[in-house]
Amino acid sequence: MSRKSFPLRSSGEELRDLDQPGYYAGYSTMAQKMSWDEATRTVVSERVNNVPPGRFFSPQEAALLGAVVDRVMPQDDRAEEHTIPILPAIDERLYKNSLNGFRYEDMPPDREAYRLAIQAIDEMARARFQQSFVELTIHNQELILRSLHDGKPDPEHAIWRRMPVRRFWALLMEDCVTAYYSHPWAWDEIGFGGPAYPRGYMRLENGLPEPWEKDEERYEWNAPVDSLSELDEAGTPPKHGSQRRHGERH
Amino acid sequence: MPHRLGPMQTLPSPMRRFQDGETVDYCIVGVGAAGGVLVQRLARAGFRVVGLEAGPFWDTEKDWVSDEKGSHELYWNDLRITGGTHPLALGANNSGKGVGGGSVHWAAFAPRFHPSDFHVYTEDGVGVDWPLSYWDLKPWYELLECEIPIAGPAWFPWGDPHGHPYGPHPIGGVGDVLVRGCTKLGIRTVAGGPVAILSASHGDRPHCIYRGFCLQGCKVGAKASTLITHVPDAIAHGAEIRAQSMVSRVSLRKDGRAGGVVYIDREGREHFQRARAVIVAGYAIETPRLLLNSECPGHRQGLANSSGTLGKYLMAQAGNVVAGRFDKLIRLYKAPPAHALSEEFYETDQRRDFARGFAIQTVGPLPVAFARQMVAAMGAWGWGMRRVMMDYNHWATLGVLGEILPWEDNRVELAEEKDQFGLQVAKVKFNLHDNDKKLIEFAKEKVMEVMWAAGAEQVVQESRFAHLVGGARMGSDPATSVVDKFGRTHDVPNLFVCDGSILPTQGSANPGLTIQALAARTADYLIRQGDSVFFSSRRDLSEPGIRYDLSPPHTRFKGNPRIA
Repeated sequence: MSRKSFPLRSSGEELRDLDQPGYYAGYSTMAQKMSWDEATRTVVSERVNNVPPGRFFSPQEAALLGAVVDRVMPQDDRAEEHTIPILPAIDERLYKNSLNGFRYEDMPPDREAYRLAIQAIDEMARARFQQSFVELTIHNQELILRSLHDGKPDPEHAIWRRMPVRRFWALLMEDCVTAYYSHPWAWDEIGFGGPAYPRGYMRLENGLPEPWEKDEERYEWNAPVDSLSELDEAGTPPKHGSQRRHGERH
Repeated sequence: MPHRLGPMQTLPSPMRRFQDGETVDYCIVGVGAAGGVLVQRLARAGFRVVGLEAGPFWDTEKDWVSDEKGSHELYWNDLRITGGTHPLALGANNSGKGVGGGSVHWAAFAPRFHPSDFHVYTEDGVGVDWPLSYWDLKPWYELLECEIPIAGPAWFPWGDPHGHPYGPHPIGGVGDVLVRGCTKLGIRTVAGGPVAILSASHGDRPHCIYRGFCLQGCKVGAKASTLITHVPDAIAHGAEIRAQSMVSRVSLRKDGRAGGVVYIDREGREHFQRARAVIVAGYAIETPRLLLNSECPGHRQGLANSSGTLGKYLMAQAGNVVAGRFDKLIRLYKAPPAHALSEEFYETDQRRDFARGFAIQTVGPLPVAFARQMVAAMGAWGWGMRRVMMDYNHWATLGVLGEILPWEDNRVELAEEKDQFGLQVAKVKFNLHDNDKKLIEFAKEKVMEVMWAAGAEQVVQESRFAHLVGGARMGSDPATSVVDKFGRTHDVPNLFVCDGSILPTQGSANPGLTIQALAARTADYLIRQGDSVFFSSRRDLSEPGIRYDLSPPHTRFKGNPRIA
């Protein structure tokens, strides 16, 4: 793992070395696995127990993309042994050249897109901070990534004139959230019921938990002070989508 | 081990196997929503039928999982190129691969089209009229609603009001939000259907258990796909389904009639399946692609493309997803994603500045899908992503289903790139036009209003598209359409197209039920035409009359209530 910075509870203590972040303390989807069908149990257990080896990226590429992944899908609050493998999932998809059924006409193939982006991000870091992206402070890493997120690469790089930055960002985020939120530890974090065949659900309304689910126990927390990846304004980003609060309608 | 199709159902065994070199009556390319119904009807009527399917023949107990990522293989994942001003996401969004096709992973909303859908040009001066009316198709709507069967309210108030053979489902948290918000605004709703999901057991299929994994393939066997509704009956009546057989071209004989298809089996070997008639049922992208790839002397711009419209007039529906965050827990993963809707805004309203309309429907993204929506709707990443996802259980999601009109520049073409079989892949171009943009803007605002009215404290939205139809449209005029009203190509008398690609327009109803009703109607037409399809070039356009004696088991004695 590379560098870390920790989110804070509103009481001020660092959130770190957690076995299970989120508001559903003690809830475990894997504890329910004997209630799942065998095929599902095999697929999900395999995801937890067998992390695929890196075979597509070179060690240098893996180090750089790993540092990127650590910022776009940060897990600094999680204990080392409860970190969800994201980079290996991306590596495996590209190694197998597993596609999602389409490619935008203005995008190169996924494998090439990642290699180009890795090159661009590292050269952007060197141009702006005279250091490799991997060596940058978290804040400076996030400055670079935030500029990609905003669709305005800073500094500019020729690769982003060949490959639309917003498409690469969408591809990267899609791969990262697919790896993270397909993992049962993430289901525990967000209180998702997980696989439910053949048992099914019986309490459909009013957000009620099944007997084996947990109710929510919320707490307030803040992103690390040096982070730029928090939603723009406590959960209501004005720049994205077209959301409005009541009273601002025209 | 028997081949399982759910916890109670098994595939009839043994399945008939035609010899290589044997001539069949009908070769059907693609065993999806339409292909499954065609194979079943034609086999029951005594024809020698083979269905070629590019994907696998699912054993639902072994192959399917209650898991988003683990369900990747249900989709058409092979390369396609997508472009235009508003490129469509393909793959999991709208394309299936394997026996059952897209009906394996559809959400299973099963509304009928409205009578107005069949003559939008006459009524509104947009799009094009269908070569048949709603009333021509209605008997097959009613029959398929019993065969599939459909669960829903006893009284569905829009279009041609009707009831449903199975009762409505209990409502989940998201349906509750839809009903609450709409009620506050005086918008009529229905809940608990219409969906192709069982609310009571049906033969060897159990009812729904409300686990929410409809889009990952229903292991329960409660949600209908032709894999479990029509394919078993087809096999029991002597049809062969040949899975993992990718058709590369339809081939013509010297006399200009279709002689069969070339396909590639799972080991990469090429075969020729001789047939007396061919029906292409590969859906809105693979159907035009196959016909374009089948170009030959006399058909240089693609087979059955003398009109030049093959691949054109492709349509998606606006599928904007509006997400609202509520103070109370919702747990949107419970209950089928599809379970409540309103079609109050379906038709043209002179007070609005666009033609046609939209529906409002529940959607139920599981965590990966929801996180991806938050990337698009909120620009969420990093700690912001972690934070919004920790509130997953506080969000409800509603979908726009908006009519996009058929435009010539929205089309399927062949790209330069080739797939693993050496076949040119499809390139899909999609542009929004003025009417579409105005409709989407209005619909999006209306659904956001519903979300606010339901009590959301934050509302965001993602622009996206759902479903695919068109690309080989039917019409009366051979100069402006690919097939006639029974799916027969204007150019080759024993070559048919029967799937979503023949739809001239698509309203704002989910197209699945209509595709299946059209397939049953085409089958009844072919059965009535008998052997003349195989040698005659005479085109009989009289209505076939419906056959009530060709349905799968457990259909009899079910009815469509009509309380009025």
